[in-house]
Amino acid sequence: MSTMKKKILILCILSGFRLTIAQSDTVMLNEVNLSDSHLLRFTETQTKTMLSDSVLQRNPASAVSLLNFNSLLYLKENGAGMVGSPSFRGTTASQTAIIWNGININSQFLGQTDFNTINTSAFDNLVIKPGGGSIGYGNGAIGGSIHLNNEIRFDKGFENNFSARYGSFNSYGFNLKSSYSNKNLSLNLAWGRTGSDNDYEILNTDRKNTNGQFYNNNLSIVTAYKFNARNILKLYGNIFDSKRHFALSGVNSLPSKYNDYNTRSMVEWNYNSGEWTSDLKLVYIGEEFRYFATLQTVDYDSGDADTWIARYDLGWKKKNFLFNAIFDYNYTEGIGSEIDDAHRQIASASLLWKHRINSKFLYQASIRKEFTDSYQAPFLYALGLKWDVARFYQIRINASKNFRMPTFNDLYWPGSGNLDLKSETSLQAELGHSFSFEDFSLDLLGYFNSVKDLIQWVPSGNLWTPQNIGKVRIYGIETQLNYSKKWENQGLELNASYGYTVSENKETGKQLIYVPFHKTTASVGYTFKRISAYYQFMSNGKVFTDTQNEYSLDAYSVSHLGLELSIGKNRSYKIGGQVLNLWNKDYQNVLNRPMPGRNYNVYINLKF
Amino acid sequence: MKKFNLVLFGLMAFSTLFLTACNSDDDNAPSVEETGEFANGVFILNEGGYGNGNSSLSFLSDAGVLQNNVYENINGELLGDTAQCLYADEDRLFIVLNGSGTIEVVDRYTLEKIGTVSTGLSNPRYFLIENGKGFVSNWGDPTNPADDFIAVIDLTSYSVTSTIPVVEGPERMVAENGKIYVAHSGGWNYGNQISVINASSLNVSAEIPVGDVPNSLEIANNKLYVLCGGIPAWTGNETLGEFQVIDIQSNATILSLDFPESQHPANLKISGNELFYTVDSDVFNMEANPNVLPEQSLFTADVVGGIYGFAVENNQIYIGDAVDYTSNGKIYLYDTSGNLVDNKTVGISPNGFLFNN
Repeated sequence: MSTMKKKILILCILSGFRLTIAQSDTVMLNEVNLSDSHLLRFTETQTKTMLSDSVLQRNPASAVSLLNFNSLLYLKENGAGMVGSPSFRGTTASQTAIIWNGININSQFLGQTDFNTINTSAFDNLVIKPGGGSIGYGNGAIGGSIHLNNEIRFDKGFENNFSARYGSFNSYGFNLKSSYSNKNLSLNLAWGRTGSDNDYEILNTDRKNTNGQFYNNNLSIVTAYKFNARNILKLYGNIFDSKRHFALSGVNSLPSKYNDYNTRSMVEWNYNSGEWTSDLKLVYIGEEFRYFATLQTVDYDSGDADTWIARYDLGWKKKNFLFNAIFDYNYTEGIGSEIDDAHRQIASASLLWKHRINSKFLYQASIRKEFTDSYQAPFLYALGLKWDVARFYQIRINASKNFRMPTFNDLYWPGSGNLDLKSETSLQAELGHSFSFEDFSLDLLGYFNSVKDLIQWVPSGNLWTPQNIGKVRIYGIETQLNYSKKWENQGLELNASYGYTVSENKETGKQLIYVPFHKTTASVGYTFKRISAYYQFMSNGKVFTDTQNEYSLDAYSVSHLGLELSIGKNRSYKIGGQVLNLWNKDYQNVLNRPMPGRNYNVYINLKF
Repeated sequence: MKKFNLVLFGLMAFSTLFLTACNSDDDNAPSVEETGEFANGVFILNEGGYGNGNSSLSFLSDAGVLQNNVYENINGELLGDTAQCLYADEDRLFIVLNGSGTIEVVDRYTLEKIGTVSTGLSNPRYFLIENGKGFVSNWGDPTNPADDFIAVIDLTSYSVTSTIPVVEGPERMVAENGKIYVAHSGGWNYGNQISVINASSLNVSAEIPVGDVPNSLEIANNKLYVLCGGIPAWTGNETLGEFQVIDIQSNATILSLDFPESQHPANLKISGNELFYTVDSDVFNMEANPNVLPEQSLFTADVVGGIYGFAVENNQIYIGDAVDYTSNGKIYLYDTSGNLVDNKTVGISPNGFLFNN
């Protein structure tokens, strides 16, 4: 665990702009308070970045912008607040797994998660893990995974947190978190609401962003009961309800809107004897969308999917060995205006092995096989090792085979669905170096990824059908530099990261659409007594919008500036303000979807 | 020394500007030759992607010189979203932008912008002029079968002066003798009628039942030629394609020929005494008053994404290939024996041609 602790400390430093705050938020994550035990046990040979509670609370506008400024992820956002999807290392949004408390929640219809339907303040931390993870998380964990975690704490009494934010374009956000815990019982409730008129001026035109308004509500409940030192029962629930209009792409385009209603429930029983661990999860995921092609219509497009998951994870630990077996059964029923009562069953078995040879060296190996009659599923494997070469230098190596299954739309869309589809598969390897020296830390990582059987919709006659046709060669580097220093009354934080990504179609040699070669983030934070100020910078390189690389969107850089004041005896009240897009940059992230210029918000955050 | 530095600085600044301009061209589009007069050639309308605002206009001169992005180059603005239809009168071009919900009006020979129909349209599709007025087919809300209309346009103020309600999904139109024949392909549903609109009284004077999904039509020698695609197989309610000839004096159907099962024709064009149409990538021709439909195609076009735009002019067949619908499309010129004469790379999803001679 010591590495994890160090990692989390580094991660908090990465994400927080105030060392003091970050430290006070740091909790020692373990398998009692985190449901995603796989993340703790079997990801040591990969890189992880954790965004802590305080960063999630401070996050201004959207989950998409949070990821954009705090990671090397590429975020494709169809205009502010609209559909926004993250992707890692030159892969696609459906090759990104979104994991809710250990469970994959990617849409059954689209194979991806719209990150603007995630209210991050409902969670206690968010972990970004680039690199393959299909052994533990299954479908879609090719480019990487994003983990939304609730933490369970005991013996803390009453804790409450309220935050409110208001800003330009009538944007608002409210979040209330209340929790009570004693020695055996932990109760946590979180409610959040965000919304915006989103009618920003489109820079260098006389137009405004029209029909872009949205609001959403999120309710989350987490309860745990510790029967004794070995047995804990946990209950998780989350309801997300969103009403969103889609901003117009042309002057007189038809206004449309989209409703999401997503529910997730999980019962979990943990047993831990020290040598043996047993973890049973029973999960229900409900996914519902309504697309109204025009505002007046009663005749909407819909999709409803119900997924039931049973997952059993048995662990055995002896001395320096850890052995895990995971069995997973997944049943999904989908129905919609285009999907006619489809259902599928998937079972999988994984075996994982980790061996810590000595204090400096560990390796792990794992395999997974899926069983389903819906598509051709591959056999997966992964290997990793970590070597602490010196006190200041660590090497990590990881190689894995991962997959992404066809979606319900790929398989069952009337007239187009293709029942002969195979899974997309990816074979990848990475080599990471970490250096730390006093107040500095530097990460350097290179990776290679070969993706085949990419599912692409192609025209055939008058129809479009999905086919396994693409082969993609991806390689790149990621670097990250951090510096933090604290004096008696002051603190200074500097972070910079840069990613270079080549993701090319093997046949044509052309870069995939919407994959920038370059992404850079940087931030500086300075704290003096109760005041802290920070500046965040993000730059996305040019992206191509067509497969022949003849059309592109220009590179752009956007910066935020923020100021925060802590008040109260324990500095538990915060008041702050932010200037977003400080330099009023006119930019597009997706073709013909201009983003807002300079805008403002103020917020308060009260702990009581 | 100071002076020298200033000169150097000036040169550097100039070259930076110059390079920037070149780069931005390179970034956004294939290189463009010098613009000139747009007489003697063919315009190619490139639809772009819905919602992407990347429609464009290309021009291929009779001498075989292609210019892409001609609207943008002349007017310094993007054309708009989802260009659907290109129409010309004596001296103007009318470009219907379905996604933008507008019509851009430009000079036919210089392409300089004259005006825009910017209000009163809803999901506009096709345009033509009859009796000195413009007529635009509009789907309205495509989920609502009861709000479709033909908009009447004043050709001096470029505004909608009245609307004529019609049944669902008005699409392509032809006109003759003060009458407009509107094919109802059905919008998001499947239509099966032709509305006849009186261009003076501005009302629907007749409705002619035809086969399912009339997708193209031509008019000549007092006859209306209608090609119906039929309902596609994937719906589970497949119907046959049909070719029909209607006498426009009596509105009576005088010929009706069924296509074989699973052949869904499109792109009916008349050229001299010959009719042309396509089925998937095959081009067919037949005389204007056939007894039977041809069994053999004239040729199979070597296209990637199917035949998108289609036209016949001066014994040449023009085919637009949308390739993958996101990158630049291609056009192919064939002679009427099916020999490939020329091909060019144009804008995204070339869906129509207009001959400017």
